[in-house]
Amino acid sequence: MGEMSTALQASLDRLLDSPGVTGVALVDAVTGLTYGTAGDLAEAGDGPEASELAALVAERLGAAGAEGELESVVTTSTARLHVLFSVARPAGDPLLLTAGLDRDRANVALALRSLGDRAREVLA
Amino acid sequence: MRAPAARNLPALLHLLRDEGFSGTVRVSGHPGGTIHLRDGLVGAIETPGAPTVTSTLLASGRIGDEDWLAACAEQPDADRLGGHLVATGLIGAAELEVVRTAAVFDGAFAMALSPPGERELGEREPVLVAEPGVEPRRLTEETSRRMSLLSRLWGPPSELTRVRPVTVAGSGGFRPDGWLTPGQRGVLDSVNGRRTPRDIAFSRGRGLYAVLLDLVRLETLGLVRWEPRPSAGTRPSTAPRVPTADASAAAPPPRTTALPRRRPGGGLPGPDPGRKGRDSQ
Repeated sequence: MGEMSTALQASLDRLLDSPGVTGVALVDAVTGLTYGTAGDLAEAGDGPEASELAALVAERLGAAGAEGELESVVTTSTARLHVLFSVARPAGDPLLLTAGLDRDRANVALALRSLGDRAREVLA
Repeated sequence: MRAPAARNLPALLHLLRDEGFSGTVRVSGHPGGTIHLRDGLVGAIETPGAPTVTSTLLASGRIGDEDWLAACAEQPDADRLGGHLVATGLIGAAELEVVRTAAVFDGAFAMALSPPGERELGEREPVLVAEPGVEPRRLTEETSRRMSLLSRLWGPPSELTRVRPVTVAGSGGFRPDGWLTPGQRGVLDSVNGRRTPRDIAFSRGRGLYAVLLDLVRLETLGLVRWEPRPSAGTRPSTAPRVPTADASAAAPPPRTTALPRRRPGGGLPGPDPGRKGRDSQ
């Protein structure tokens, strides 16, 4: 995206301070376009894949009768954690904050809560 | 100013990136458009084929018309307008960055839907630009990805932009709103058989590409439809029409009088199709 530090870049950089977070990205939930990244890109994940996964999960939940908008998708392995958080906007298509975490360096429950809270501040 | 020799538009943008060019690249064609470069990076794209940042902010209701006019009056320099919008609290800096970046990629996608015409370089013009701008190589790659995805999901993207979808009769009682995103619901509400995807994008302040993705999904769910596209390999016949015996018997006698000659200045050009499309909303 260029070398100049922007408000969005600073916002994403701050998320790397959360325990265990190795990479984050802000992705358009509809187009899959990645607006910004911080940390390890591979850990944050691919933008188009993240948007497709979130759309698929939301659709399946809806078909199963779940109500309300998708809030997050959490995928865990024995060593890693990957999360997608919906980031609502006052107008326009929603965004996804994707993050990779190292389980050895983070309490999963606390890390998820912390990231979820801070996801809302990404666009501030 | 003539554009330097380059085999195509992406190659020209890469060349201008290397030169650190700041200015405009005007591209003729349908829709054509103007690409605004700052130090070789793409800061904005204005094209009739996709909403600009201004259209997006206003049509979506993110910034009210009165607030916008007041901001433009206080800061007439478009290059500095973004900073002013943030300083006055009308929008956050990160959110504005998202809107501006999205508009650049959407404009590039819209311009890629038809072959570009002549290219001409121009002086720098004030415009609401993404800062620091988008690398031309990334823009090219993302546009190619979008074209490929739509082609795989539906077919030729340029054909998809010309459809005028209608809601499927009988699906009114079956609206699986729980399955639909707010964006898809909005597109469904905008479909009326007259609007093209571009019209819907402008009316809702959304990107053209996002609207196309939603329409494809709605068609898959059986909630909208449009006239079937011509099957592959068929094209309008250019062969001379040979009337059948029956047809010739029923047809009126051929005209023997010449068509009236056109006189210069005798008629006004027709309305701009794009403008007509927007007015039909």
